Amino acid sequence: MYVAAKGGEEAIQNSEALYGALNGALTLDMVRAIQEGMPYLVDRVMGEGSLYAPELAALALAQTGGDLYEAVLLLRAYRATQPRIAYAHATSADKLFTVRRISAAFKDIPGGQVLGPSLDYSHRLLRLDVLDEERAALNREDAETTSVGTRHASSVSAPSAVQSIPSSVTNTTDAMNGVPTSTYPALADWQRAQGLLPPTEPEQIAPADIPDVTTDTVMFPAPRAHRLQALARADTGGVLALGYSIMRGYGLIHPTVNELRLGYSEVELTHPVTGAVFSVGRVRVSQCEVITPDAGKQGYMLGFAATMGWNEVKLIAASTLDMDMAANDGDGHAAHSEEFVMYHTEPVEASGFCIHFKLPHYVTFASSLDNIRKMAAAVGWDDGKGAQTPGPSAAMDEAEQVG
Amino acid sequence: MTLSELTNERQGYSFGYLDAYAKRELRRRALKAIAIPGYQVPYASRELPIARGWGTGGLQVTLALVGPDSIVKVIDQGADDSVNAANLRRFIKRMSGASTTTDTLRATILQSRHRIPEEIMQEGQVLVLQVPDPEPLRRVQPDISKAAQLHADADYGQMWLGLYEQLVRFKQYVQGADYPSLVHGRYIMNPSPIPRWDTPKLHQAAHLTLLSAGREKRMYAVPPYTNVQPLEFDDVPFQIEDQTGRVCKTTGAANKFMNELPQDDGSATFELSDSGYAEKLKNDLAPGATYFDEQGNFYHDGYLKPPVRPA
Repeated sequence: MYVAAKGGEEAIQNSEALYGALNGALTLDMVRAIQEGMPYLVDRVMGEGSLYAPELAALALAQTGGDLYEAVLLLRAYRATQPRIAYAHATSADKLFTVRRISAAFKDIPGGQVLGPSLDYSHRLLRLDVLDEERAALNREDAETTSVGTRHASSVSAPSAVQSIPSSVTNTTDAMNGVPTSTYPALADWQRAQGLLPPTEPEQIAPADIPDVTTDTVMFPAPRAHRLQALARADTGGVLALGYSIMRGYGLIHPTVNELRLGYSEVELTHPVTGAVFSVGRVRVSQCEVITPDAGKQGYMLGFAATMGWNEVKLIAASTLDMDMAANDGDGHAAHSEEFVMYHTEPVEASGFCIHFKLPHYVTFASSLDNIRKMAAAVGWDDGKGAQTPGPSAAMDEAEQVG
Repeated sequence: MTLSELTNERQGYSFGYLDAYAKRELRRRALKAIAIPGYQVPYASRELPIARGWGTGGLQVTLALVGPDSIVKVIDQGADDSVNAANLRRFIKRMSGASTTTDTLRATILQSRHRIPEEIMQEGQVLVLQVPDPEPLRRVQPDISKAAQLHADADYGQMWLGLYEQLVRFKQYVQGADYPSLVHGRYIMNPSPIPRWDTPKLHQAAHLTLLSAGREKRMYAVPPYTNVQPLEFDDVPFQIEDQTGRVCKTTGAANKFMNELPQDDGSATFELSDSGYAEKLKNDLAPGATYFDEQGNFYHDGYLKPPVRPA
């Protein structure tokens, strides 16, 4: 029962318990398996949750049975309670420990193209052999009545599951952390030197003074920092839908991927006592630039997006949106508008509002019903004379604009 | 001396869940909202452990106001026991230790979605209304930057035009709940999706009303004893929902806002929407005075006018 005369509290507790029971046990092993085996999923939750915490993101996924929006909300709500104890120094492309770096603009670029880890050129064939191997192992287990541990070990040690790591990655790997340490110059620096892109001066601003979309009131036009932060934590699906609309035909521009990177960034802080700059750790980050001719300026312009974790499709779409928002004359397609894009790609707000329509609305419905009945009494649309009068559905449309 | 002696014991969450910076911001925004009745004050809006669109705006205000001595009532569709109201009340209690009640007149903070109770709220009480959409001009201008300019100029012509078009097409105003209203003769506000039955209760009310939209990050207020006027033309008065002839099947009450309950035989029965008020009637506890008396007369004489059919 949805609204009980008594028992609402009991009902919600039972509902949550049933949800948990259907999802299976929440265990540390499950959290570890998600964290180690599904890094891209964990990255997506961390990016949209705007909190770099692989273990907590994996926990959020395990706890919600893999419901992405619920997992992102869990991480966001946790994040909102955490104090800011320090601000990291800004990093830049040429300082990233880069494992993948491609440009669609030139065949070769300073530092070279680095294909790195990617499924781009894989055949999208289901690896049914893994299942066969698993079934074979299960059969063996049944036959030999071996311990449960064998099953796990056999699937991991199956020859087909072993990936050979490219030497280009292993050769430059930091022996301490297993993290590559190669850095590459930014292609945009070469283009600036050539006069193809306008010169830029990094804004001189203390990290703590950078506008922060999570603690500031967002007003429009928004500072560029707000826009880039909003895109960084935007819903991947939402950004893709709006970005795709631009690419497909509602765009001001044609994006060319200037440079797309996956890598690791040092998180550098200034020690509060000694003043020394030190790294507190490394985080997976990705960034993308798209480039297009800047009409009227005889040069090019860039769109940019970056996020925590590796999420290529989101960043190509987001950097395209960034460029179109910059070029927006205020009168184009909705996806060119900063306000439209920022509001409608916010995953926690969009998903929350969407599912709130499950809540009872019978007071608002009763209010509209009152209007419809009064109208029926007043004009009588079914007595043959009402042909010129809009029917109940038109009035419902006007009356039902409530949440 | 050790570090542990210098620090407080570790706690999972702050009192009232929100950190002190978030609470300070919310309280400052609330003061500004009270100082400029009906004006939408933007705020940062933190994520909470319940989904956006499920009362996070109201909840942030309540959490910023609640203290250990507060008495909190939470209703959804008028009911204390609605699942979402029960969930919010459970959370507020868990995070603040405040006591809770279903009695409108005992509550120091009353958070509500879609209703204002039937009993007249008193001075010193705070009504917190959850707001899905704070922008009344969304109906005519979806771009909030442009809408903000219209508010600044008190340029409400398109709203009046929309009202006129409703009369032309339907011979009556067709806005259901969330009926746009002019506050203190200056700003048009959405009173949140309360039925039109509840909108007049905001006019010259003894209590403070804070309206907060967490997803849209806007807060506004109707301070005590402030004029609130639902939009209407002089010759076609605003109309509340007709409750004539509806009698509550459990309490026998009449001329209150009723839930209509469809029956298998095609008929309908009615019950009070305000569950706290119904509880008092059922248990023979004397309820307080109500905004609408048993004959359906509103407590501010002459504020509501009888219907007029336009020519």
